[in-house]
Amino acid sequence: MALKPWLKLSIQILNLMNRPKKENKRRLWQLLLLLSPLLATLISLSAGSLDLPWNKLFAILRQGPGSDVEQVIIWQIRFPRALLAGLVGAALSLSGVTFQAVLRNPLADPYLLGVSGGAALGAVTALTCGIQSPIVIPLAAFVGALTALLLVYLVAQAHTCSSHTLILSGVMIGSLAAALLLFLLWRAPADATRQAIFWLAGNLSLADPDWLSWGWLWVIIGFLLLWSQSLNLDLLTQGEETAADLGLNVGRTRLILFTLAGALTACAVSLAGLVGFVGLVIPHICRLLWGPGHRLLLPFSALLGSTFLIIADAIARSLYAPAEIPVGVVTALLGAPFFLYLLRRKGGDL
Amino acid sequence: MIQINNLSFSFAAAEIFSDLNFSVSRGEILSIIGPNGCGKSTLLRLLRGSLKIQTGEVLWEKTPVEKIPPREMARRVAVVPQSTTIPFPYKVRELVAMGRYPHRKNLLSFQDKSDLYAIEQALVMTDILPLAERPVTQLSGGELQRVLLARALAQNSSVLFLDEATSHLDIDHRLELTELLVRLNREQQTTIVQISHDLDLAAAISQRILLLTEHGKIAEIGIPKKVMTAANLQRIFRVDVKVNSNPFTGTPQIVPLINCSAHQLNGLKIHLICGGGSGKTLLRRLHLTQAETTAGPLNQGDSDEAVATTLNIPVAQEVPFNPFSESTLLKAKKLIDQTGVLVITTQWWGEGNLPCLDLAEKAIRQGIAVYLLAQQREQDFTEGKAWGKIQQLQQQGAKTIRNEEHLFEELAQQLIV
Repeated sequence: MALKPWLKLSIQILNLMNRPKKENKRRLWQLLLLLSPLLATLISLSAGSLDLPWNKLFAILRQGPGSDVEQVIIWQIRFPRALLAGLVGAALSLSGVTFQAVLRNPLADPYLLGVSGGAALGAVTALTCGIQSPIVIPLAAFVGALTALLLVYLVAQAHTCSSHTLILSGVMIGSLAAALLLFLLWRAPADATRQAIFWLAGNLSLADPDWLSWGWLWVIIGFLLLWSQSLNLDLLTQGEETAADLGLNVGRTRLILFTLAGALTACAVSLAGLVGFVGLVIPHICRLLWGPGHRLLLPFSALLGSTFLIIADAIARSLYAPAEIPVGVVTALLGAPFFLYLLRRKGGDL
Repeated sequence: MIQINNLSFSFAAAEIFSDLNFSVSRGEILSIIGPNGCGKSTLLRLLRGSLKIQTGEVLWEKTPVEKIPPREMARRVAVVPQSTTIPFPYKVRELVAMGRYPHRKNLLSFQDKSDLYAIEQALVMTDILPLAERPVTQLSGGELQRVLLARALAQNSSVLFLDEATSHLDIDHRLELTELLVRLNREQQTTIVQISHDLDLAAAISQRILLLTEHGKIAEIGIPKKVMTAANLQRIFRVDVKVNSNPFTGTPQIVPLINCSAHQLNGLKIHLICGGGSGKTLLRRLHLTQAETTAGPLNQGDSDEAVATTLNIPVAQEVPFNPFSESTLLKAKKLIDQTGVLVITTQWWGEGNLPCLDLAEKAIRQGIAVYLLAQQREQDFTEGKAWGKIQQLQQQGAKTIRNEEHLFEELAQQLIV
């Protein structure tokens, strides 16, 4: 009967209402988290050099895209920008969670294994070659990032090596890329250098809107695939040997997780440059708040990561409007104190 | 059930095992014992296929171990590791639930009724139900060990591998968990292979014991009474022990013969004639007893010389790989003249160190007590010259001592005299 699912649902809702208070409070928080990227987007849309009050904002949103100045600002500048910030925040948080678990190292971040160096090298090579196209530069960065990751994987023989070897190989490949990058910047014309530095500091305004939908598709697929690996991630945090003893095919799982996390980072970096801090601290904050189980940690990190970066970008745009502070400054200034506060409250236990 | 044929293994250049042959039968408790570093943990890894086999084979019911996929293997055998650090604060219940991984049907969780039941049962049996909601990062070593055992129990496998799984436990929980293992073995026919340093407990519960030598060979395998003999333990662990039978259970019980009171020798002057590593244990132990020790003649670079120099023990030194010169022998004689006791270790005799025996003879004439640690004719490479001199020394009053323990007793006597 068609009644049955409805009956089930209503029982579930009743159960939800009968839960103990603490449980209820937690549910409320989770619901809030689920909606937070939307709220953040609204805040981001109203913030900036042209301050829009809420009622006006909603009016413009109802009107839809158009040729009016305010319509153009909202629909063609701020909205894509918020979408990009959300994408980058989610991608970096997801890959941060993954790298921290696979490497069993709380200091790991998406850039640890040379991905940032590779991406930067790719992008800057394109820039110094005189390529300005917003279509090509992300592609060059993407290829650079994946090449670096592939190198690390091959050099460390990551199928069998320990996580320490992997980290060290990553740091070395990263240094190599950084050295080459410096050399390129030293050789490059001043104009290209300025652009490159802009890119290296992380910038959410560069992306071509055509890339946005592809980026989102990439991130959503990446998330779903990662999510399907959440039990495997839990097992890997116990160490390679224990994971294998519990029945995990460690080599294969590592390869899958690496590819996914690497692809997510590469996507974020190629669209927005090196936005720092998000991928390191968001996973920790989520772990402190909701525990280390990856089934919840992955979606929550993605949500919180995108919310966090959307807000940070809104602040970066409006604080010294019309000038922009680099968004990395805001993420660190907001994230570090909050993280330290949580750390102290939980008794210093990561 | 598990058959091990001609298994050899080496790390880099060092050979860990050569040519092991034994089997584990269904439903038995087999304890692996042996000195530190003899490869017990490595052996356990090879048995479950987590290390790649180099030569030989391990068969699980006639299937080679490398042909069994990881998940299938985890359903057959659960492992309780030595100890481990877990960097993230999983709750105890979550960690135990990981034991259900090889049985999972759902991609995202273990919510099956049988899973929940197995987890709950494992928590209760290891007495950690009160800890179920605590993060594992806050547990003590013993609590964590029980959590790891619970995870293995939740795996519901027919074989259990334990790598010193009770080493961090207090006596209460150690006995309780040992009882639990025995019960699992009796009631569910769980096969248990454990590495243990608690020899008494291993002897009490095991059907068979596998004793490994320092060089990864099987010294003996069989029922505890046959393996746990004073002679075996003395040979493998180089300790003086007596093996009694436990008055209550009748199982072998090891009584170490350490007489601490005999081990204070301050004031006693001892000279040691050793070489080639034959004296390094003695040098170290004499240093601990605070006896005034000297040694030599010894070549520089000899392992005994290295130990003596490190411990600030005066040594009559010779340059490397040279026979002892007149002046070195004179130096040694001066050292001997100042001591009351001369000890000659069990060593190999060649033309190079033959003059040392002459030094000993002179010492006897001066009235110095000379002790010979058990010498062996096979270690004489001077066509009988050294052996002749040794016998002569014995006739002149040098005492032969069976082992180092007895030497210490004798030395304590010397101190009283």
